[in-house]
Amino acid sequence: MTSNAVVVCTWDRGHDGLPVGAEEVLTLGRKTSKTLGAELHWLLLGPMPDQAMEIAAHYGVTHIDRIEDAKLASFQPDPYVEALTQYCAQQTPKLLLCSQTFDARLVAPRLAGRLGSGVVMNGIDVCVDVDGGLEVTASAYGGDTRAVYALAGERTCVVGVLANALVPEPVEGAGSSSKVREIQVDLASAEERIRTIEQARTQGPRIEEAEIIVAGGRGLGSPENYKLVEELAQALGGMAGASRPIVDEGWVDPSRQVGLTGHITRPGLYIAAGISGASQHMAGCAAAKAIAAINSDPEAAIFRYARYGIVGDCLELLPEVIRAVKARRAQRGEA
Amino acid sequence: MRIVVCAKEVLDPDAVNNYALAGGLQIGEDGKTLTQTTIPKLINGFDEQAIEAALRLRDAGTECIITVVSAGDDPANLLKHAAALGADEIASIPVDASQGDCYSIACLLAAYIRKNGGADLVLCGRQASDDDQGVVAALIGEFLGMPVVTIARALERADSPNGAALRVTRVTPDGDEVVEVTCPALVTVSNELGEPRYPTTAKKLAARRMKPTVVDTAELDLRPEDLQPRAKLVRQFVPSVQGSCEMISGATAAAAAERLVERLYEDSILQ
Repeated sequence: MTSNAVVVCTWDRGHDGLPVGAEEVLTLGRKTSKTLGAELHWLLLGPMPDQAMEIAAHYGVTHIDRIEDAKLASFQPDPYVEALTQYCAQQTPKLLLCSQTFDARLVAPRLAGRLGSGVVMNGIDVCVDVDGGLEVTASAYGGDTRAVYALAGERTCVVGVLANALVPEPVEGAGSSSKVREIQVDLASAEERIRTIEQARTQGPRIEEAEIIVAGGRGLGSPENYKLVEELAQALGGMAGASRPIVDEGWVDPSRQVGLTGHITRPGLYIAAGISGASQHMAGCAAAKAIAAINSDPEAAIFRYARYGIVGDCLELLPEVIRAVKARRAQRGEA
Repeated sequence: MRIVVCAKEVLDPDAVNNYALAGGLQIGEDGKTLTQTTIPKLINGFDEQAIEAALRLRDAGTECIITVVSAGDDPANLLKHAAALGADEIASIPVDASQGDCYSIACLLAAYIRKNGGADLVLCGRQASDDDQGVVAALIGEFLGMPVVTIARALERADSPNGAALRVTRVTPDGDEVVEVTCPALVTVSNELGEPRYPTTAKKLAARRMKPTVVDTAELDLRPEDLQPRAKLVRQFVPSVQGSCEMISGATAAAAAERLVERLYEDSILQ
């Protein structure tokens, strides 16, 4: 039998040093813990970020639970799964919400397998039904549908949350201070079985964190035209992205792919050039504050999601947009 | 080397997408099942790439038996396709998918693998294109005590004196990562692996004669609680899309582009 506590678990740090998605998932955690009349814990694996206390206060966290161990200094699946398994065995929370980073996509289901408990990924909402049971709404069919799962069983349920689909809602005022607890786990026998031969080359900022993204798709016609996308991204001080078809065709490196199986982004501005707007792609950018779409097909799905649209050939339009942006910037520079 | 590939039959995601975009995706009376009979069923694309990964290991000289297993309502067509692609064995675990969940399906697949001589390598697609959950592979790995390497774009043998091992190139948000893992291991395959092959007509004909082993789930030594769903699908719905696009036009491409940039500044989206 579990306690009623809700735990939000984060570890993956973004460029700002904060755990990716923490505030969004804490928002969902607070809502759920309130309905359950339960405590909200924030579990931090590895070193504690400087701002953790402040964030915890703003999101109604009752306890910050810390697990520190040399084996958790950088991400390794086996020690992380073991640490979380021991945590859940000791604390028996009702629900563990993970910010669904790339690594969490592996850790969350493995943890559920260890615990013998239910797991749902791509979560965007959690509701408590009349009997106190948990229902998780998750994205399915690449974003075409929402699937609602009822979680059952006596053990801690594990849910991966798409932080980029949520908006952080800090509590009014300064909030109350959280208790910090050191949780002891024994990772002596948790040896990582996967050996890293070559690390991923980190290419500066991640596209997830970009404020402006310019993305290209098949409408670009051929690989060499992708440079227009890069040029506009550069002119705007943003990053270049791509839809899956042109990544699969080998025009662009997979690290640029925006979509369900690529990066899930939430920029302030997303410019989609020659992208039809299939759900698979929109799953990676629909949460943008504003989407501007350029597509030659007036019926393209992208216009349903876009705030601004131009029907036309992106090869004609992109150079003009680049020119217009550069002209504005030059004008402002002079002013 | 014994390779087991787990595969799932799904509704064609492109067809689902087309219906969804046209606003005509139907959900049945149970409130959760997509009911359009015109949407074809096919092998999950990522799982087909997992079969391709197995075949590429064989092409590269690995002596292996490739078994493709599927748990579902009626995986016969999927398994015939797998046989035509080059699977040596095909196995069907008949289950009423509506009564199970990812956890119970993973229990069945893991128990099947354990019962049938185990595996040096289990391959799965990174996720199924219907529920997008991507948890069955990790659960199977956990149940079988195998390390799980996710999102592979390439696999090769990297054997050592300690035994069979694999070198896997993973697609991560920070670029490619190369890892090694000792077998037995489970690897999930992503679309970056590249186009899977097409079966030849001759192989398709030969595959028709291959009969799947039909697994008797009662003989898998599972406890009743293993088959209890823990995350049961109760509803499904189509989310609404706002659809309030401001269409911008101009006499020339330059004029339209200029107007777009102007609007972005006016609305403080660009500063």
